[in-house]
Amino acid sequence: MLEVKNLKVRVEEREILKGISLSVKPGEVHAIMGPNGSGKSTFAGVLAGREGYEITGGSVTYLGQDLLELDPEVRAREGIFLAFQYPVEIPGVSNMYFLRAALNAVRKHRGEEELDAVEFIALVKERMKKLKMDDAMLKRAVNQGFSGGEKKRNEIFQMAVLEPKLAILDETDSGLDIDALKLVADGVNSLRSPDRSMIVVTHYQRLLDYIVPDYVHVLAHGRIVKSGDKHLALELEKKGYAWVEQLAASGEMVTV
Amino acid sequence: MSVAADRTTAPRYLEAFEAARREEPAWLAERRRLAIERFSLLGFPTTKDEEYKYTNLARIARGEWRPGSGGSLQPDALAAATYEGLEGPRIVFVDGRFDPERSTLSELPEGLEATSLAALLATAPDALEGHLTRYADFEGRALTALNTAFFEDGAFIRVAEKAVIAEPLQVVFVATGDAGTVTWPRVLIHAGRQSQVQVIETYISAAEGAHWTNSVTEIVGEDAARVEHFQVQQESVEAFHTGRVEMLEERSGYISTISLVLGAALTRNDVRITLDDEGCECALDGLVVISGKQHVDHHTLIDHAKAHCNSHQLYKGVLDGSSRGVFNGKIIVRQDAQKTDAIQNNKNLLLSTKAEIDTKPQLEIDANDVRCTHGATIGQLDKDALFYLQARGIGAGEARSLLVYAFAADLLERITVEPLKRHLERLLMRSLGRDSAAQEVSE
Repeated sequence: MLEVKNLKVRVEEREILKGISLSVKPGEVHAIMGPNGSGKSTFAGVLAGREGYEITGGSVTYLGQDLLELDPEVRAREGIFLAFQYPVEIPGVSNMYFLRAALNAVRKHRGEEELDAVEFIALVKERMKKLKMDDAMLKRAVNQGFSGGEKKRNEIFQMAVLEPKLAILDETDSGLDIDALKLVADGVNSLRSPDRSMIVVTHYQRLLDYIVPDYVHVLAHGRIVKSGDKHLALELEKKGYAWVEQLAASGEMVTV
Repeated sequence: MSVAADRTTAPRYLEAFEAARREEPAWLAERRRLAIERFSLLGFPTTKDEEYKYTNLARIARGEWRPGSGGSLQPDALAAATYEGLEGPRIVFVDGRFDPERSTLSELPEGLEATSLAALLATAPDALEGHLTRYADFEGRALTALNTAFFEDGAFIRVAEKAVIAEPLQVVFVATGDAGTVTWPRVLIHAGRQSQVQVIETYISAAEGAHWTNSVTEIVGEDAARVEHFQVQQESVEAFHTGRVEMLEERSGYISTISLVLGAALTRNDVRITLDDEGCECALDGLVVISGKQHVDHHTLIDHAKAHCNSHQLYKGVLDGSSRGVFNGKIIVRQDAQKTDAIQNNKNLLLSTKAEIDTKPQLEIDANDVRCTHGATIGQLDKDALFYLQARGIGAGEARSLLVYAFAADLLERITVEPLKRHLERLLMRSLGRDSAAQEVSE
């Protein structure tokens, strides 16, 4: 599904990613953990096509295509979904209009019929029920006046509607209390399927109690310094990021 | 002789005035004579005049203008001024002259009078005396003086006391649009006590020439009258448009006016209101959507003459290309106008690095128990929002349009005539290279 090879990225003259390699197969959930400033969000942003990054080396292949050549909207239509760490407020545009425009763009790209208003409402209502969201939110402007938890739930709701092939969750747990976290995690888990892959970017292990990954990678100073299975997250929780920093400093690459 | 004026072509106007033969009441002839004399003294304002600092009228001042011929129009000439779903009466003027063929005035609702000024001046001018030319003063105002001296025709709209007119009345001014022609549209709206009316004034060009429209609209609302006025200007991007809207409110009245400008190379609108008695409310709004080298200047004046009146102003500009916007909003609160509540906002979205806006509030407050707030913002499209939309599959162009639409949304919400609102939504989307689904964006 996704093949990242020795990816190097600069932001304003500073090298943030110093050679990342990662292989994600259909249905797999990969967690990327790391301290602040390790390059986690840069990695997520590069995959989704955010502006302001200079790719200085390596490659990213997604479903056989050179991902880095594609505009962000084309990536989205091809099935990549970034759940934002900071979902953007867009006053004046309703959630309903926004999501229908997005869904129809994706459907058109896939050669499917666009949905009319009635079909669309039926679809979103069903998905909203699953996430225990209030219909009234559809009439509100995109993310405007939403609480932190509502914004994150809205991201997962969009994901449920757009049905991506590869979802990248960027710090989806940040700012959530435990109840909100469980709701979001339930939503994500209900979307797990053998042909949908996920990359879960997080600072904390607690999200991984609820969204259990197949693989865990630890990022530090722009490199993956350690990869393993779900147990690595627990070990990291116990030993702290200082342990990883030491590994990074020693240049040692450990696979559990 | 002041350097702030250009009198180069003034003698020509005086000659044309002398040459004109009009059969009309003595009071109007006298007003016209005063107006042309005033214009001869004033000349055209130049950029040395503080009021015209950013708006250069030189091309108008030096132009040799002749009246529009009123020549034949294509059958679909009015398409741009037709708002789908809006029926109701319509009074049409071609090059400033009443066109009975294109007007639909046969079934005016009870209490509404809508007629040609020229016709009325010839038959029953008494209704006009004391109103026509009495509100839009031309003392220091060259453009109003010229319109007053030269207008041949226009619309007279009278709403009877307590009449509530359900359907909006449309006033359409079509310029045949040949280069070098000028038209002098004139409108007088007189709303009787406790009456209610909506009037849509639309200005379009039938051809893409560099013609000039110099209009004056006077609106007077008697006690507790409610007037909603809309002015839509979509003239040729080669055209010049100078317009004046002068309004007077009596006790407990309500007048709103929305200036919607999409057309003309150069537009200068002076929108002014006097709140002349207690308990009045008014809303002066505007939406400017321009690109290329278009230039739009709104000068507004709200004169709070008496106590307990509220005024709201929201002017928004969407500027692309190397277009230029000017907003100058003056609010006067006189000594007697205690408990005034005045809110003014000017918000601008610049879509290009070459677009430019000059915005200036001017408050003159002589009362001590008032609330006056003003604010101006200038911004670009939010890059994070653009990326957010793109990251959901929405194309870059559409994402841009959507954000521009969102910027204008609260202004569009103020357009209470639904077919006009939808028309503008479509125009807005089209001017941004997109023409579908506009109406559902904010639902």
